[in-house]
Amino acid sequence: MPADPELKSKVEELIGANPILLFMKGTPEMPRCGFSMRVVQVLDQMDVEYGAIDVLPALQPLREVTTEISDWQSFPQLYVNGGLVGGADIVEEMYESGELAEALGVEQPSAPAPSGATSSNGDVQQSPPLQIE
Amino acid sequence: MVDLAELKTMIEAALPGASVEVSDEDGGGQHLRAEVKAPQFEGKSRIDQHRMVKAAVKERFDDGQIHALSVRTEIPD
Repeated sequence: MPADPELKSKVEELIGANPILLFMKGTPEMPRCGFSMRVVQVLDQMDVEYGAIDVLPALQPLREVTTEISDWQSFPQLYVNGGLVGGADIVEEMYESGELAEALGVEQPSAPAPSGATSSNGDVQQSPPLQIE
Repeated sequence: MVDLAELKTMIEAALPGASVEVSDEDGGGQHLRAEVKAPQFEGKSRIDQHRMVKAAVKERFDDGQIHALSVRTEIPD
């Protein structure tokens, strides 16, 4: 099914306006899927500010949009500087290799890779949640 | 039931010369994992490498036999 053009242009706008943007299931405070949680944990480790969009309220329409924009259907999806970097597997791989820090333009954190459900960073930098109508 | 050997064959067919391991992490067919080392990955971004693997097994996603596939890619030395 073709994507809703209005939603598509809204998504493109958001990707363009947010240097680091995560499409995820749930919110950074309350991820609703283990894969989304893993990406949130990595981003918290990187100590970067990022926008987050909860895809659950419009899962299928957003799937159609990201399929057209990036040829990628599953969530989470991390966009950096307008391009899709990847989902949980790629983000973790790139975190471990240091490529993610490079892509984000930050120092590689010295902390070990995130594990477990709790964030080690109590003072998470967080943009306000973004809404998709 | 997912046929792991078939998935392996599909990936090998799409990426000739690749070494491919497909495993079922919990034995229930829900958490499949593919480790793929392929010369075709050279010069490609990770997202493109993963796209190549997923494209190879797209048919099995489309017919609902698999729902999630964890992918790990590597370029051979």
